[in-house]
Amino acid sequence: MSTVLFSLLLGSPFAGSLLCALFHKRRALEIITAASSGLTFLSAFWLVSVVMAASPLITPNGWWYADGLSAYIIIIVSGSAFVVALYSIGYLRRQIGSGKVDDRHLWLYYLLLNIFIFTMMLVLLSNNLGFLWIGSEASTLATAFLVAFYERESSIEAAWKYVIICSVGIALALFGIILTYFSALHVVPATDNALNWSSLMQVAKNLDPAVLKLAFIFVLVGFGTKAGLAPMHTWKPDAYGEAPAPISALMAAGLVNVALYSLMRFYILVNTAVGGAFVSTLFIIFGLVSMAVAVPFILLQRDFKRLLAYSSVEHVGIIVFALGIGTPLAYFGALLHLLNNAIAKMLLFLTAGNIRMAYGSKFMRKATGAIKVIPVSATFLIVGVFAITGWPPFGVFVSEFTIISAGFASGNSIPAILCISIITTIFVGFIYYTSRMVLGVPNRPVTGGEANTASLLLLGVLLAALLLLGVFIPSPLQKCIDNAVIVLKG
Amino acid sequence: MGAISLQTIGLLIDIFAAAILVTAFLIVSSRSLVFYIRLFALQSFLLGVVAFLVVLGYGETHILIAAFLTIALKAIAIPMVLTRVIERIQVRKEIDFSVNIAASLLLCGGMVVLSESVAQSILSGQQTDSSAVSRVLSVSIAMMLIGLFIMMTRKKALTQIVGLLTMENGVFLSGLSITYGMPLIVEVGIFFDILIAVLILGVFVFRINKTFETISIDSLRSLRH
Repeated sequence: MSTVLFSLLLGSPFAGSLLCALFHKRRALEIITAASSGLTFLSAFWLVSVVMAASPLITPNGWWYADGLSAYIIIIVSGSAFVVALYSIGYLRRQIGSGKVDDRHLWLYYLLLNIFIFTMMLVLLSNNLGFLWIGSEASTLATAFLVAFYERESSIEAAWKYVIICSVGIALALFGIILTYFSALHVVPATDNALNWSSLMQVAKNLDPAVLKLAFIFVLVGFGTKAGLAPMHTWKPDAYGEAPAPISALMAAGLVNVALYSLMRFYILVNTAVGGAFVSTLFIIFGLVSMAVAVPFILLQRDFKRLLAYSSVEHVGIIVFALGIGTPLAYFGALLHLLNNAIAKMLLFLTAGNIRMAYGSKFMRKATGAIKVIPVSATFLIVGVFAITGWPPFGVFVSEFTIISAGFASGNSIPAILCISIITTIFVGFIYYTSRMVLGVPNRPVTGGEANTASLLLLGVLLAALLLLGVFIPSPLQKCIDNAVIVLKG
Repeated sequence: MGAISLQTIGLLIDIFAAAILVTAFLIVSSRSLVFYIRLFALQSFLLGVVAFLVVLGYGETHILIAAFLTIALKAIAIPMVLTRVIERIQVRKEIDFSVNIAASLLLCGGMVVLSESVAQSILSGQQTDSSAVSRVLSVSIAMMLIGLFIMMTRKKALTQIVGLLTMENGVFLSGLSITYGMPLIVEVGIFFDILIAVLILGVFVFRINKTFETISIDSLRSLRH
């Protein structure tokens, strides 16, 4: 049964990619992408229920692996992919209508979107850390042309930086993985298994701590680059700002979590092997630095999608900070924040897509008075901004509150206070810019209208989910996160 | 395989590793893009030879395919792609520096010394024989650092690609030296990724050239904040 399940999870996006390569009709591409990502999302639910009963799940050949942590993140990533696939249909139809996209680009978009989803599944289901690396680099390559999609000077520049910076990062991570393999070769009996997560965890306590510490630094820099931790985040505002809105949404809600997942795997391994405060301290420092770095750029921003990119840097910082605190409560907060941030980021990036289509610009000073022009999207925008900046009654508030109280409870009071003050400052910046966008007076004739009803309905579902998570946590979700926390504890 | 031949192979690995390091230094001191790519091809060829020597000396047959791939892809295919890119875009072929050659060489020399001490600290805790292969670890770390240095100080888009590939060569060499290479299927996947990366970056170089009329990354400065 495990084989069937893994085949579904990896096979649906893979089949989607193949079919997209074969078919060129718009309708066919839309159906293939929606069906393959929908099937992946459904299989993810099946995976969660299987893993809850018996964890971990490994295929007989030892290549693929899933436990509570991977199942939870697969739900988030495949769910984000499904939402983005559905939203893309309306978004790209409008872009074709306005002549911004031709048939060849449409085909490329859906093909690469499917490959992108496949590479993320590859990372999340690999037992072998080498495969995990291959999937990570492949995800950068799959998104390269999506970032450069509009072929403007600025988007080619962004894509160039993105591929170069992430490839350098990931090359350093590969050295970290080789060092891990080196330390394992002496203690894992069969060398073919020495890169397998399932064998590594069994011998974690016998691995050489000195080598693992060095390995962890390389892995942290490497996957930290992919996650967009400061100071390796410089590609992020460019790439998120230039990619089509649905792709930015999937990068911020999916790819970021995939990179964080890779970091968490090494976090667990090195924590078990080395113990003590080594890993925690590094995570707390990187987390706080990422949050702090985002502040000035959020306060002085002209471009809404770049604003969101810096918000992504901030929230990755919050999650890494929470992992650094390292108590079960902090783990719970970090994992819940993963979900809340993913939903809120999708809501905001997709709304940014609506605004861009209406105004033909992503610059905030050009897109004013949205409430009069596109009232529904404007409402989503303002509510989404309150949600992402941590206001009740939305989910982000609950997870941030959990993380900060875990910080105080574990004696990390000064970092926790820093965390609160940064979040508050960022709130001010966000509200300043969005109130001008939403309220203000439309300063020029607006050409595009509101997005179609299906897209707006999709955004409504995201908003409802955020609201629900702010009020209470459904018990299946609670159980799912609890299972993931057990994995994080090592 | 007798003890003497193993010693000979160890000596050969040392010599070839030293030669690889020399190519990295020559890249740093080179002014011409064409020369950059030829040196990279030579470097990859030498790397392939080291992989073959590891197969010969230590019987790790799974590296054989990785050795072939190194020579076929990194010493032949990728340099050919990059040379075509240069010919097609007919760019001014000299390289701009932000750090001059003398200072660059001095800094890279410092990196070699640093790499030696990092390599010692990695190997010190292990009970492995100090075989010739593990001695190569310091060379591999030095190559990663030099690759990074090239990317930071040489301002053509193509030199950035060569810098990245030099780093990748360093990472491959490190795997060869301390773990006798990664499992084959992983190694093949990594080669596939690198090839795709070079093709994608090659396409971007065309586009950058088309939109900016130059392939210096200095013109990539429109995105700020």
